[in-house]
Amino acid sequence: MALAATAAATLGVAACGTSGGGGNSAEGGTLTVWLMDGSASEEMISALNQEFEAAHPGVKVKYEVQAWNGIQDKLTTSLTSDNPPDIIELGNTQNPQFSSQDTLTDLTDSAKDFNQDKWIPGLAEAGKWNGKQYGIPFYAANRVVLYRTDLFQAAGITATPTSNAEWLDAIAKLKAANAADPDFQPLYLPGQYWYALTSFIWDQGGDLATGSGGSYTGALDTPQAQAGVEFYKQLVEASGTTAPKDNDEAHPQQADVYAAGKVGMWIGMPGELATAVKTDPSLKEKTSAFPIPSKDAGKTAPVFLGGSNLAIPASAAHVDAAKDWLKLLTSDKYQTQLAKGGFVPGADKDTTALAGDPVSAAMAKATAGGKATPVTPAWASIEAGQNPLKDMLTAVLTGAKTVPQATKDANDALTKALAK
Amino acid sequence: MTATTNTAVSAGNTPPAPRSTAGAAPTRRRGQQSTGQRMLPYLLLAPAVLGILALLGWPVLSVLLTSVRKLDLGELMRGQVVWVGFDNYVEIISDPGFWEITLRTLLFTAGCVASIVLGGLLVALLMRHVPPAVRVLLQLSLVLAWAMPNLAATTTFQWIFDPNFGILNKTLVLFGFDGFAGYSWFTSGLSTLTVIVVVVAWQGIPFTAFTMYAGLLAVPGDLYEAAGIDGANSWQSFRAVTWPALRPILTVCTFLSILWDFKLFTQVWAMRQGGPDGGSTTLSVLQYLNGISAKHFGLAAAVSVLMIVVLFVLTAQYIRLLVRSREVDL
Repeated sequence: MALAATAAATLGVAACGTSGGGGNSAEGGTLTVWLMDGSASEEMISALNQEFEAAHPGVKVKYEVQAWNGIQDKLTTSLTSDNPPDIIELGNTQNPQFSSQDTLTDLTDSAKDFNQDKWIPGLAEAGKWNGKQYGIPFYAANRVVLYRTDLFQAAGITATPTSNAEWLDAIAKLKAANAADPDFQPLYLPGQYWYALTSFIWDQGGDLATGSGGSYTGALDTPQAQAGVEFYKQLVEASGTTAPKDNDEAHPQQADVYAAGKVGMWIGMPGELATAVKTDPSLKEKTSAFPIPSKDAGKTAPVFLGGSNLAIPASAAHVDAAKDWLKLLTSDKYQTQLAKGGFVPGADKDTTALAGDPVSAAMAKATAGGKATPVTPAWASIEAGQNPLKDMLTAVLTGAKTVPQATKDANDALTKALAK
Repeated sequence: MTATTNTAVSAGNTPPAPRSTAGAAPTRRRGQQSTGQRMLPYLLLAPAVLGILALLGWPVLSVLLTSVRKLDLGELMRGQVVWVGFDNYVEIISDPGFWEITLRTLLFTAGCVASIVLGGLLVALLMRHVPPAVRVLLQLSLVLAWAMPNLAATTTFQWIFDPNFGILNKTLVLFGFDGFAGYSWFTSGLSTLTVIVVVVAWQGIPFTAFTMYAGLLAVPGDLYEAAGIDGANSWQSFRAVTWPALRPILTVCTFLSILWDFKLFTQVWAMRQGGPDGGSTTLSVLQYLNGISAKHFGLAAAVSVLMIVVLFVLTAQYIRLLVRSREVDL
């Protein structure tokens, strides 16, 4: 981690150096855009850049793709440098930390230029601080239950589960049908997959924390939140998953586990499925998805709304040009293209472009009810530091603590961390 | 270089006194010459001294200054300087968690140092007694363990201690300890830290072992022979011959290990990010959480300064010995 941080810092410095060089040679005519790895497609952005450059003679767009790993450190170093990028993409949960520190340009007055009335509420909320809009919704991606259609058929499951009871039933059927294979897991569910846990807690009517603005207190010890944790435990036990109880969905990458072919269902994002398909192309045909079921039949559980916002650093040199670029991106034309790329667009309520693919369709169906983590600057440090939700899950699943004890401990730790 | 030695000698010893009475004219000539000459060594030393001051002095000063500032992401970006006096220290010290973490760090350091020094001593003694072929093999494996990057070692140990697929649990089950099937080694801070001590010791022992082995080689063989003739058993000859020769080296190794292990970060963070429930959080992890995670750089700097203070108290005895022994040796 220390190595990664240092490497990120070095990279940041190097990147600043190059963007500085570019700026000098074009006499301030270069708009530097940083988007994240795996977001909008190369073709879409280059089409957008061409249109932008045609409308702004003399301005060149310098488009750079950044990696998620170590991005917080890189943004910190680049935003404090003399040559920050003009447009950055921020994870929605990171957004409040940057807005609360006045490091971003206030975009409240230009919001209507960015298709404001079509924004996804959960993302717009994350971009807001003290009544001012700093982050503009870019795209959302949320988790769905991905499943193997061939295995469902073989196990005699005719309809996808629409309630928690049916989901557990499907796990039992898959388990029975594949009893001969000791390595088979009906549902792959790693112990510290807290993004999945949030869905279950919200579905039971609980929440991670309550409050607003800068002050939040944990709400993990409520009966509703405890019921969510209980359901997580129930899923793990029903499935008998061999996923590590003391690690998260990225260690090992669950897409790689799925690609090995011994998993019936898993909770993941379309992007992760794409990774698995790269390893085993036959999975594309054999995989479909349904929204995370709810305790109430026919409903779907609220999902953790993952996604990105776009922002202009307060120290950016070309604020007006950056605003024009954002205006173009949030226009219907490019939002539709974003949807075609498999994302739920941040500034477009029309998701018909996603309906063609079963996985994207399942995702878009759940986005509307998506929720986000508490909008507070402290949340980013919880994610980048010690996450009490992860410790809580491990303690419950390994039997080290009872659910009431684990939720109480995690709640105390969360409240303390949120107060910082 | 010679000029410095001359001045040092003339300053400290009385004999050069006659030189000054050797006649006025030659002295003045020498004096005139030496103004430039006396300056020369200092001029030659200046770049190195300035370099050291810039490389060591400035960061220390910078940490001290940062620790009395409020320096969050916003202040950093605007280049704003906000002095808050000792607020950062008060905030850190008034948190009961800080004292718990400090105590844990001290115990962790003690565990690491004890196992490294003791393990190193035993391996060094072993090296002396095994046949050459075995010794070469032993030394080769020690060097390999030593050369392994910290993160690679930590990852390997994570795999070894993995509850389901780790070789440790599988081996224990094979030997009949069925309770270890799927046993998680990372459910409490104590067992997590114990695993980290094992990783640190595994990588730290080679250095101490080689250092002490070098010390052992310096002990003349006839001393053991003489001890043997006097009827000393192996424990007595260890106490009377080996131990006196090893003691200074052991002190150096202990001192270095304290310095290295007290501020150890990589392995602790990589193993479990200071978890579960903050149970393996040491002072350097606290520093990371305050600085890099939460972006309160002033608070993190205050933790660093407090760490220096604790480290100074820990090693004061050794520093005193160091200063005293130099006086005696010269």
